[in-house]
Amino acid sequence: MNIKAILPKATFSSVPNAWRQYQPNASQPLLPIGAAEVDEHLRGGITQAGLHEFFGGAKADSHAAAAFALLLAWRLPESDAGIFWVTGDKERQTSGRLYPLGLSAMGGNPARIFLVQTADLRDALRAAADAIRSKAANAVILETHGNARLVDLTSTRRLALAAAESGVLALLVRGDAVPMPSAASTRWRICSAPSVPLLGNAPGLPTFDINLLRHRGGTASFAARVTWDHATRSFFDTPLSGGLSAPVTDTEADPQQRFRA
Amino acid sequence: MRLAACDSAALALGLSGGIALADARARVPELAVFDHDPAADLDLLGWLADGCERYSPACMIDPPQGLLIDITGCTYPFDGHEVRLAKDLKQRLRRHGLTGQIALGATPDSARAKARYAKQAIHALPVEALDAGDKVHQALRRAGLKTLQDLACRPRKAFAARFGKATVVKLARLLEEEDACITPRRHVPVVSVTQNFAEPISRTHDVLDTIATLTGKAAAQLNDRSQGGRRFEVSLFRSDGHIARLAVDTGAPTRDSALLMRLIRERIDALSDPLDPGFGYDLIQLTVPTADILLPSQAGLDTKVDRSAQTEALIDRLSVRLGRDRVRYFEERNSHIPERAVVECAAQSGQPQKDWPKPAEAEPPMRPFRLFETPQRVEALASIPDGPPRQFRWRKSLHHIVAYEGPERIAAEWWRRKAGHEQSKGGPTRDYYRVEDSEGRRFWLFRHGLYSETDAPIWYLHGLFA
Repeated sequence: MNIKAILPKATFSSVPNAWRQYQPNASQPLLPIGAAEVDEHLRGGITQAGLHEFFGGAKADSHAAAAFALLLAWRLPESDAGIFWVTGDKERQTSGRLYPLGLSAMGGNPARIFLVQTADLRDALRAAADAIRSKAANAVILETHGNARLVDLTSTRRLALAAAESGVLALLVRGDAVPMPSAASTRWRICSAPSVPLLGNAPGLPTFDINLLRHRGGTASFAARVTWDHATRSFFDTPLSGGLSAPVTDTEADPQQRFRA
Repeated sequence: MRLAACDSAALALGLSGGIALADARARVPELAVFDHDPAADLDLLGWLADGCERYSPACMIDPPQGLLIDITGCTYPFDGHEVRLAKDLKQRLRRHGLTGQIALGATPDSARAKARYAKQAIHALPVEALDAGDKVHQALRRAGLKTLQDLACRPRKAFAARFGKATVVKLARLLEEEDACITPRRHVPVVSVTQNFAEPISRTHDVLDTIATLTGKAAAQLNDRSQGGRRFEVSLFRSDGHIARLAVDTGAPTRDSALLMRLIRERIDALSDPLDPGFGYDLIQLTVPTADILLPSQAGLDTKVDRSAQTEALIDRLSVRLGRDRVRYFEERNSHIPERAVVECAAQSGQPQKDWPKPAEAEPPMRPFRLFETPQRVEALASIPDGPPRQFRWRKSLHHIVAYEGPERIAAEWWRRKAGHEQSKGGPTRDYYRVEDSEGRRFWLFRHGLYSETDAPIWYLHGLFA
């Protein structure tokens, strides 16, 4: 397949600008994860004005993806603007509601969170796009569950362009879904990971296995284990107990990977 | 059975309301009779009262057959002539096939009496217009006092002594000496602006343009009062008498007409059945039923955008489109039962709570990130009856527990139960465990009931940790 053939011609005035928004740009602010190794891989962090996708590793890991997305939103400098959590009725039923006492225990401020609950995914996508476009939000998190046809290249591009224009961090949590082509800047697979136990074998701090599946800036896939520290509101690297696992390249699930391989 | 009411043809034949049906049939054998339906009459009156809001916001149903409209200060569309307003109303009623007896008066009582007895002058009314009971009327007639004129020129003290103070008050109200307020059906708005049309309009574009003009006018009026509206209602009066009402609520008081127009457009888009202009709207009204103080604020000198106003605007927009209860924030409640400790409130109803408990240093979160509204039942296995679970099955998959912390014992709120203060009636105690399974997922489980309380306690999964 000739990639050049599908590149838009420069004669269209608006298209080159739209295209440029996908390109990594030195002037774009980056949001560091906090874990040194991960940030080194990402060359500074993820783009703040962009769309990022988070898949759960297994069915039971959807909430880990949601948690990771929310913790990333908390990495943003605190401001008056809120974090809009957009979800459908179905998602709320399957994965429960956000629990503010737990959120504050993780170092966040539940007062900044606004819940937007919609009847279906179409409304949720529209509400999320409005929230991103309005600049009223610091971050917008859209949670979906299952393989939704509506979350396709068109709808994600709409979100990505809106995010690039308004500078809002847009996070798309996709629980129990198979990766499909999308316009997101980065795509991650998030799993819960065993924590470093505390005294008396008590479960420790929130720990995640994160896999970068793809990155529009061309960063190679990698896997890492990070732990959230609520005191510094930052992730830190955690050594994998069983040695470093090989980076995941699921060529079947992600057609874009084929070009890079 | 008696006749409740007659139409004009029956009245012309000498029948009237109140006479027995058998007598009426004897006089007019071909009489057509229908069942009396007071509820339908009231519905019709209500519909008429809604329609009369085009003249004044203060309309009141006066059962069984009356409508009272307070038109004080509402005659400017008719160049200040009340008579022309009455004429307009009469024409509209005739268009719907209704005949009305319309009378103007300085007090509601006087207008009502004039309409009921179809007289122009209050002094010519019979004493029955007092509506003070048959005994009083009879006594007055025996005394030779037949009209209100006879009563008006006599000293009141004697009346008060003979018939009571209430009768004198009624007389004063009838003679327009003392005013009484009516109780309008709907809350009289703070601000109300209307636009009349000589020819009904039906194009959506025109209607929206008109609403935009009205929001501008309302905003100017609100600005004069240093107020901002919390609720805005648009009433579209169709020429055939139908009224469509749209309402938008705002989280913070506002008088920004551009913002209002966005909300109203959003509201029109969200209508389940679209607006049907029919033969067109001949009057559009915008009212502000509730308003709060809104002082003008100066924008900061720096170029930073006013984020909180934008947030309010977004919340209003989403609330209008999705429904008020669908955009929410968290609020803490005074309870130690986890699901009762936090509630979600409509974002438009107030400001989020600022201070939440701060996390403890060097301690993992003790409360889960997500909570199930109804705890999920799991099959759990514990090594010893009172001990922590070893494994559990949730949503068809088995989880082996490798680390745990607990129990955190939370007693039931016995004071919510009937006879909860008695022994073993307070409800089961919960023993919460924070557990981690072999794959690294962290859960919040609890055993519902101690072994001293119940024989076979059930395990539930209540939350998920990050």
